[in-house]
Amino acid sequence: MMDHAFLQDYLPILIFLMIAGGMAVLAVLASWLVGRQNPDPEKISSYECGFEPFAETQGKFDVRFYLVAILFIIFDLEIAFLFPWAVSLGYTGAFGFWSMVVFLGILTVGFIYEWKKGALEWE
Amino acid sequence: MVTFESLNFSPAIPEIFLAVMGMILLIFGVFRGDKGFRLVCWFTVFSFALAAVLLLHLADISSLAFGGMFVTESFAVVMKVIVLTGASIAVLMSMQYAQREKIARFEYPVLMLFSTLGMMLMLSANDLMALYLAIELQSLPLYVLAALNRDNLKSSEAGVKYFTLGALSSGLLLYGCSMVYGFSGTTNFNDIAIALSAMETPSAGLVTGLVFILAGLAFKVSAVPFHMWTPDVYEGAPSSVTAFFAMVPKVAAMGLLVRVTMGAFGGIAEQWQQVLWLMAAASALLGAFAALRQTNIKRLMAYSSIGHMGYALIGLTAASIDGVRGLMLYMTIYMFMSAGVFAVILLMVRKGQQVEEIDDLAGLAKYNPVMAVCLAVLLFSMAGIPPLAGFFGKLFVFQAAISGGFYWLAIIGVLSSVVAAYYYLRIIRIMYFDTAENELDRVEDTPSLFMMRGTAFLAVIFALIIWPLFHVLHEAVERLLAI
Amino acid sequence: MEAMTEIGVFEIGMTHYLVLGAMLFMLGVFGIFLNRRNIIVILMSVELMLLAVTINMVTFSAFLQDLTGQIFALFILTVAAAEAAIGLAILMVFFRNRGIISVDVVNRMKG
Repeated sequence: MMDHAFLQDYLPILIFLMIAGGMAVLAVLASWLVGRQNPDPEKISSYECGFEPFAETQGKFDVRFYLVAILFIIFDLEIAFLFPWAVSLGYTGAFGFWSMVVFLGILTVGFIYEWKKGALEWE
Repeated sequence: MVTFESLNFSPAIPEIFLAVMGMILLIFGVFRGDKGFRLVCWFTVFSFALAAVLLLHLADISSLAFGGMFVTESFAVVMKVIVLTGASIAVLMSMQYAQREKIARFEYPVLMLFSTLGMMLMLSANDLMALYLAIELQSLPLYVLAALNRDNLKSSEAGVKYFTLGALSSGLLLYGCSMVYGFSGTTNFNDIAIALSAMETPSAGLVTGLVFILAGLAFKVSAVPFHMWTPDVYEGAPSSVTAFFAMVPKVAAMGLLVRVTMGAFGGIAEQWQQVLWLMAAASALLGAFAALRQTNIKRLMAYSSIGHMGYALIGLTAASIDGVRGLMLYMTIYMFMSAGVFAVILLMVRKGQQVEEIDDLAGLAKYNPVMAVCLAVLLFSMAGIPPLAGFFGKLFVFQAAISGGFYWLAIIGVLSSVVAAYYYLRIIRIMYFDTAENELDRVEDTPSLFMMRGTAFLAVIFALIIWPLFHVLHEAVERLLAI
Repeated sequence: MEAMTEIGVFEIGMTHYLVLGAMLFMLGVFGIFLNRRNIIVILMSVELMLLAVTINMVTFSAFLQDLTGQIFALFILTVAAAEAAIGLAILMVFFRNRGIISVDVVNRMKG
């Protein structure tokens, strides 16, 4: 189990925490105070080997890419539960199996929803 | 070895029921389309009612489920019933508004249902992991609800702001959880309390973790200094969603705050009392003064709710049975009073358009006396004028502060409620003494009209029903603190 | 408990991991407040904060010889994914209404 005296030794962490925050503040403040700042349009414009930029740097993407990305993130990361489950199925037995069935069932409800909503169709 | 029996599902049956209903309604809705909106709304309210019935049948069970992660006792049951009542009111009041504003999508009640489920789990969370997951289940649907009117710039901006600051707050909360876990070696609230009592002085890591957790929770109840999102989100979100925001999540977050502070960290009360003292005083003062110059009634309600959270936190600062009982009573009253005021806001329609300036209420008393009287009663009650409901809420909270020795806090509370009374009275003056240039429409929105009249009536007769309610709350708090 | 990985002359202990976590967390917090260019950066900052917490959790879990922290870390990962998805969806709605995603333009309401 845990050892409080041992953890008490890690009190310096808090000091580190403050230092971490302090350093970040210091860096930002220093660049703000010390640096000479008189921006003009030429200085802050994007630099592309001497010629004018061809297109806007904050270009537009097709909304459909975002939609696919959003749906992908969710289903991709829920799979993170499957790996530990698969490795330990021998220990958890029927309980582990049925828990995962319930979990996948809930995911399926979400899947039916997005399918029926037409989120999976490209056109 | 964990089995289905050892998990002891039975205390969580209402939550499991609600989760299953949510999924059924989602599938039902997606096959039926948005024309099923009203039906899904009614089913949602029906599910809330049934969940409340299931809860009340568990009233005497005080037990742990899911390996100590989930706890029910009368405190949780009482708070959950309040939350379910508020959520049902919010869904009922939304139905016509959503159709008028063309946001009547079937996802709307389903999101409210899932958010309410998250709140119920918050009230039963007995473990940092359960706390985090419940808070996220509660907030994620709320972010979407704020941006529900997706063709409206203000609404989507409200969504962006709420999401950004909400994500920040859950980051703070999680950082706190990791510190508490690291320095106590456990995530279970009961074990944290045991670990704390084993130390002579609480380790600095634990106190830091506690402060981070309090910051995360302060965001959810919109206490100063984590209140920045409140006015913008209240103004930008569709009014019916704002009503939900104002009424329900705060009750749940307060309940969770009570369990974390009085339960897990009850042993080091003097540490968090200082933090809560500052939050309570700052919220009460800011709520009173910042509301003075508002012209939009939804923004005004946002500052008013910040102030009310300040008064409720005064009760918790006292860290006694009286204080927690006062807080519960305050939140109950606050929820019903907000329901009434937001019912009026939903009824503020002129020529088919929703309006939300305070001046739009000018002369209301002349052409719609019933609505004017109801709003006046609700505002008097919020201002804490005896013998209306709000007076009792404030009375018991301040009383707890005084008996706990927090004289300055009580004085700040009284002073800021005097200032706050001024802006409530200003609305009443506009309704009664200004002349109307354009009259508001008479909207046939039965649920909202009913809530407006019902809550005003409740505010008047509250003195008669306070003692039984008081008794129930007292028993609930005693059980909570006995564990 | 004192068994720590030796790499060259360095002894990598819990403190080092926790300081890493604290620094990443601070970077995330500052990223939210100081960024003026693009709201997507806010999403990335949020992810950074959650990642910092995950590092903390796994560190404590390893040094306390207790699995809870790792389970917590798994939950944080999945919830962070859900949060990112919802954040991105809300940003898309905002972008469609406003046509630009600079932070400076989130200012229709003042208070």
